[in-house]
Amino acid sequence: MLRRYRRYLWAALVAGALVVSSALPAHAHGERAQEAFLRMRTIGWVDVNFSRDTVKQGETFTITGTAKILDAWPTNLAKGNPNTGYIGVIAPGPVVILKERTINGVSAPSRIDIQKGRIYEFSLTIAGRRPGRWHVHPSFSVKGAGTLLGPGQFITVQENPAGFTNDVKLVSGGTVNLENYQLPFVWIWLIITFLIGMAWMIYWTVPKRTVTNLAVTSQIPLNTDGMAYGLITKKDHRNMNWFAIGTALLLVAGWVYQAAAFDTKMPLQVIQFAPPQPAIAEEPVFAKAGLGQASYDKATKTMTMDIDITNTGTTPMELKQFNSAYLKFVAGGTAGPGAVTASPQATVEPGATTKLTLAMQDPVWESELLVPIGESQLLVTGIMVFETSDGKRNLTEVEANLKPRFQ
Amino acid sequence: MATDAKTLELRQLLNKQYKYIDRKWDAVFWITAAFVVGAAADITKQLFAGDWDFWTDWKDRQWWPIITPFAIIIIGSALQYIQWLAWRFPTGMTYTAVCMFVCTLIGRWIQWGAFVYYPMNFVWPATMVAAAIFADWVLLKTKSFVLTSIIGSMVFAFTWWVSNYIPLAPYLQPAEWMDRVVTVADIQGIEYVRSQTPEYLRIIEHGSLRTFLGETQYVSLVFGATVAVAGYWVGQFIGRALAIWPIGRFMKKW
Repeated sequence: MLRRYRRYLWAALVAGALVVSSALPAHAHGERAQEAFLRMRTIGWVDVNFSRDTVKQGETFTITGTAKILDAWPTNLAKGNPNTGYIGVIAPGPVVILKERTINGVSAPSRIDIQKGRIYEFSLTIAGRRPGRWHVHPSFSVKGAGTLLGPGQFITVQENPAGFTNDVKLVSGGTVNLENYQLPFVWIWLIITFLIGMAWMIYWTVPKRTVTNLAVTSQIPLNTDGMAYGLITKKDHRNMNWFAIGTALLLVAGWVYQAAAFDTKMPLQVIQFAPPQPAIAEEPVFAKAGLGQASYDKATKTMTMDIDITNTGTTPMELKQFNSAYLKFVAGGTAGPGAVTASPQATVEPGATTKLTLAMQDPVWESELLVPIGESQLLVTGIMVFETSDGKRNLTEVEANLKPRFQ
Repeated sequence: MATDAKTLELRQLLNKQYKYIDRKWDAVFWITAAFVVGAAADITKQLFAGDWDFWTDWKDRQWWPIITPFAIIIIGSALQYIQWLAWRFPTGMTYTAVCMFVCTLIGRWIQWGAFVYYPMNFVWPATMVAAAIFADWVLLKTKSFVLTSIIGSMVFAFTWWVSNYIPLAPYLQPAEWMDRVVTVADIQGIEYVRSQTPEYLRIIEHGSLRTFLGETQYVSLVFGATVAVAGYWVGQFIGRALAIWPIGRFMKKW
């Protein structure tokens, strides 16, 4: 009998060990769990760049890029009208810390006012904190929609022999290290109050019996302290008065100390403002796109889009990139992963309307679950980046109906 | 006299030595219940006031003094009723406070410190011990749950705020950061990445209450004390209807 159970136990242990040992480390942040339309129709990410991939603790790197809140923003998110946003960093906890954030050229410590169709050029200055190899993304959180991820990258944080500090300058003068600032004071305070509580509990539970009191308390009214029977004595009352007085004195002492030691205080701050428009938003619009048609060839893993493009400007414009969700396809190279080929040509003459066929042969469409077959919105959405010879740039949003092949 | 005889009988009963029930059972009760009570109190706090307790940059003048006392007085009130009724100990609130403190501390230290690396000066747990001592003291003095619910709850809410404002004070100092002047707590909240908690989710400082001469803090304290009275009776309901009453169905007399 025992032998039989032992066999089951071993089997369970081996099965558990197999499950645990076969689990791969999680490096991403669930971006593929978001539906394709959520990633493609909400925020368009363009030219996201990480300045470094390896830093020491305390050293900084920057993530720069452009995020556009697409006009195709779904009506079922934030009631179709995103108005409050937060551009931040996604990482496995505070393994990195955010030291500076600018949006459209101005410092933006916190949340911002946002509008559909607007462009936000961001720069995030980030310092390494915990040694390790961490997957880091820029993110755009939108109230009512959640957090939308930009392109991620692994960052290696190396140990700094000099240690790590996170210094902040107080208005009252001096610099403090946020890693442990006033932590001893907090601990001392919490432990003192805890000890008073423990003393109170020990007073009542150690010299006095507990469980057997029920025999008496069950026979007396609730609104009595049972002094006549010895449950609570005058001495108990007197001692508890001293406990209360002592606790009150401790609070007074603590209050006086904090008022003297930290005499300048202010309420928590809520910062929200509308960043100015970036320069790219002030450029004249010269590229216009109609509603396109898209198809996906599973055999060659190629996404193809046919789009009518009009150049309303006075100089030729050329397709430079196509971006969808956090994917980037660069024009002008050979077909393959990360490239978009435009036919009949990537250049559109001024005043002309051309039906461009974009082809992107890349397994990433499937591996990132961005082919929305099986979802409720068969659309491919993205941003085409056009440039003129004189350096003007347009981020042109394009949307194409995806025609799936059900073979 | 009959009364004296009854008193004498109860005095003897109080000091009666039992063959099978001894102090070991007291220790078993207090120690095993500590985990249940601490976890129940911590979970209740997290359900109602999680973020306000987790982060220094949520501990504001308006919501923190209203939400948290309501959340943490509930289980303390239930234990106060149970321990007073059963053993005549004015210890329910303090017992809850010390048990919850240990549970919360372990949680913060392991989950928030060791596992995800938040500095403890950003995620330290609030203490309710001082407030609990006053609430138990009020019960001892008044011997009335009605009076304790009114006086004790209000004292509890006010004392809780005082005892937690003291350790919070260093983090309310102004600092220069990103071209602004903000509190140290604000900087902690932005710099230490909270991936799925964008800053706009903070429920703090939603109004200025200028009609009360701008004394937001004190209006919130009064309102928080009032709400704590309601929380106290939620706890009484739990203690009376969900704990004691079902047990009483199986006891000879309660």
